Formats: sequence, structure tokens, C-alpha cells
Amino acid sequence: MTIHNLYIFSKNGTLLYYAEWNRLNRSGITKEEEAKLMYGMLFSIKSFVSKISPLDPKEGFLYYKTSKYTLHYFEVPSGLKFVLNTDNASQNARELLQQLYKEVYLEYVVKNPLCQLNEPIQSELFKLKVDELFKKSPLFLSRSI
Amino acid sequence: MRQQIVDTKISSHVSGEADECLFEYLHTEMVNYTLSKSVNKKEKEEELCRLEWMGFSVGYRIIERLTRECSRFKDELDMIKFICTDFWISLYHKQIDNLRTNHHGVYVLQDNSFRLLEKVGTNSNKQYLQESPRLLAFTCGLLRGSLANLGIISTVNAEISTLPTCKFHVQVQQI
Repeated sequence: MTIHNLYIFSKNGTLLYYAEWNRLNRSGITKEEEAKLMYGMLFSIKSFVSKISPLDPKEGFLYYKTSKYTLHYFEVPSGLKFVLNTDNASQNARELLQQLYKEVYLEYVVKNPLCQLNEPIQSELFKLKVDELFKKSPLFLSRSI
Repeated sequence: MRQQIVDTKISSHVSGEADECLFEYLHTEMVNYTLSKSVNKKEKEEELCRLEWMGFSVGYRIIERLTRECSRFKDELDMIKFICTDFWISLYHKQIDNLRTNHHGVYVLQDNSFRLLEKVGTNSNKQYLQESPRLLAFTCGLLRGSLANLGIISTVNAEISTLPTCKFHVQVQQI
């Protein structure tokens, strides 16, 4: 099991934070372009899911899976979006994202008076805590593939 | 007195997070507001004065209520000790970690993880060190106001070398 990378998007699509751990393949475009592409795709999937669903979609889009990796999507009511790429064996990534929101984002961004909301996160303490949380998670088993 | 403080602490956990954060968020807004009022950079010092004055008035009032069940204090050191323990616990949920004095009216109160700073940074990086003093002005006033109502006229300064540790220097004016 392994965690590849993490994106945090604001309500209106600004990339607030990006981190990567075991990413072997580069996209070949800049981080900003990649974030725009990612956000666009998520936006489309979200509206696709809500339109195409035969029943009332309670939670909407949760994750998708390819042959190589899984993308987990977690959106909170305020519109903040957490996107996590893991391999296919990883489970409970959703709980991890919830934990990230509750224990790291709320504590070290919202409660930090010197952090501006809806702007890319600069706080070193936040970066440290994200890294800590992910590295102690059972999903994080770095191995060379 | 102690019993009462413990009670309010427990109930604050039951009644949810808003209780906890309300002061912190309001404090943030107060700091931003007073700073946004400053016309130019030179006046920043002046504007922190205003924040300190707010703290003074709040501290002056708080001490009335907080000491209602206490007996009278023996001397100055006794009052400072009260500030370090009961007062600090009821406001910041912890005691002052270290108190030093030269027995001639200078007291240094050290808090190793001050509540208003602990979400801002750690000792491993120097980020936000420059901006941090503005988060302490209110508390300086709070200390000065409380001491004033106990009959001690003083000046209070704060010092930060590494986050989230801070020291409050209390200099008592000798009469």
C-alpha cells in the first residue's frame, strides 16, 4: 500500500496545497497547469455523477479506480476539496482524509490567525503535520515498485 | 475556587467546539481590525497600544469575578502566583510553566506553549516569528489590567524567541 500525492482545492478551485510522496510518473506540465486540469476533471465528474445517477446521489462522487491507482475525493460542506491518490490496495483512505481535515486543516490553518483562508497554504507547521499524519498512517508503506 | 474552575473546564468540553474557538477567532479579528486601522507602517506600534488597552479593560473586569471566592492576598508574590495558576488556567487552560523574579519587582512568566501561538509554528522553523508579537499585545494588557485591579501598577512586555514559547516581563512600578 502506498500514498502517491495529495491536492487540496478551495471552493472556487484554487490549489491550496499540493504534496507528493511516491510519485514515479511526472505529468510533464507545471504544477499550476496540472492543478487546473485536475480540478476541471473533478468538476466534470461531479456534475456527471449527479446528472447520471438513477437514484438520489447522497454523497455524490467518492472515488475512481484505474488499473494502477485509486483517486479518493472528499468534499466538505464548505466546498473544500481533498484529493488523494493511492494504489489500489489502500483502504480507508476516506477516513484518512476526514482526519486530515479535522485534525490538521482545522487546527493549523483555520485556527492560525496568520493564515489567510482560500489562499495557498504557507504555514510550515501545517506542512509538517500533514507529513506526520500520512507517514504514521497504515496506508503509507513506501516501497519501490 | 479550584473546584469551580475544574467545573467550567469540563462543561466547556461538553458544550462543543464553538465555545473553545470563539475567543480565539474573536481575538484574531480584533488583531486584524486594529492593524487595518493603522494608517502607515510607522504607526503599528501605536496601534498595538490600542489592543493592549482593550486587554487592560478586560483584565480589570475579569479579576473582579475570578477572585470573588479568594481570600485576600498576602503580598505581591502571592498575587503573581495567583495569576500564574488560577488566572492562567481559567483563560488558557494551563498554568504558567516557569516563574522567575528578582524580588525587586521584576517577574518573568514563561509559557512553553502559549495557546494563541501553538497553532502558528514550532521551534523548528522561524516562520511567523516577525508577526507573532501582535498576538501577544492583548494578553500583555490583560496581565496589566488584572494586576492594576489587584493594586499593582506595572508595565508588561512580551518576548518570543521560538514559537510557541513566550515570556511576559512584568515590571512593577515602585511607589
